[in-house]
Amino acid sequence: MCHIAYRFQLAGYRDEIEYCSVGDNSEVERWPESGFVKKLQRKKDGYFYYFNRSRECADKDLFKIKLFEY
Amino acid sequence: MASLANKINSKSPKNIPAEGFTVKAAMKNSKVKPPPISGAYKEKSSVPTKFRKYYERGDFPVSIEHDAKGNKIAWKVEIEKLDYHHYLPLFFEGLCETQHPYDFLARQGIHDMLEHGGAKVLPVIPQLIIPIKHALNTRNRKVICTTLKALLHLVESGDLVGEALVPYYRQILPMLNAFKNSNLNIGDGIDYGQQKRENIGDLINETLEELEKRGGSDAYINIKYMVPTYESCVQN
Repeated sequence: MCHIAYRFQLAGYRDEIEYCSVGDNSEVERWPESGFVKKLQRKKDGYFYYFNRSRECADKDLFKIKLFEY
Repeated sequence: MASLANKINSKSPKNIPAEGFTVKAAMKNSKVKPPPISGAYKEKSSVPTKFRKYYERGDFPVSIEHDAKGNKIAWKVEIEKLDYHHYLPLFFEGLCETQHPYDFLARQGIHDMLEHGGAKVLPVIPQLIIPIKHALNTRNRKVICTTLKALLHLVESGDLVGEALVPYYRQILPMLNAFKNSNLNIGDGIDYGQQKRENIGDLINETLEELEKRGGSDAYINIKYMVPTYESCVQN
């Protein structure tokens, strides 16, 4: 969950629902094997972020993450 | 007279430096200089690359973003729509760079383009050989590390890429052969930096193994021709 929230928030969106509702982004591109987000269009200027197959956060740091729900 | 001759002889300087294989070198009072250092591992001075020029001119559709996790590239256009024949060789040329932001941009640009290129990478391979060769020939350890990682990623980026690289081993592998033994020998000590993957000897071995695995049936014999100390990871 954390990497999904991180990737959307890096691009300027709160979550997937907001991303799909803005502009012409009807669907999120994902990596086929893991389902991680692959590509996002940035909110402020329309530039593109491309993400790796793997998670940004290393396994050893995973327990430190706080995830807030809206 | 004899005492005069002795006097003259005692005044004549001994151990006159002389180049090897000269007439002077055959004289009794000369000392032959050792051969000069070949400089096989000496770093070559880098010249400003085309990559730097193009970046400063604003030709690349990228911008650097600084965030808490580190730097990241934002692409102004979708990577899928880029002309790989133009941009990918330029990014590979940037591998020679050691200054920020050029080195980071080249590294990250190559990573993104290879990760999302799919079938577009394979036709560009002949254009990537010269930049890879130049980067390895700098003999700069940091540059060699980055280039080897890029080469590994390139081989893994597509099914046929490994086989397409086989005809170019003659250009790529001489430097790998030269630095293959550049390893850290600390006995039973622990190399704490091993997770950073900066040990050139290990990286070269990893790269050669990947080239062999993905290079098809002719890969091993071609690698062995250029790197005689390499042992197969498939056959043994």
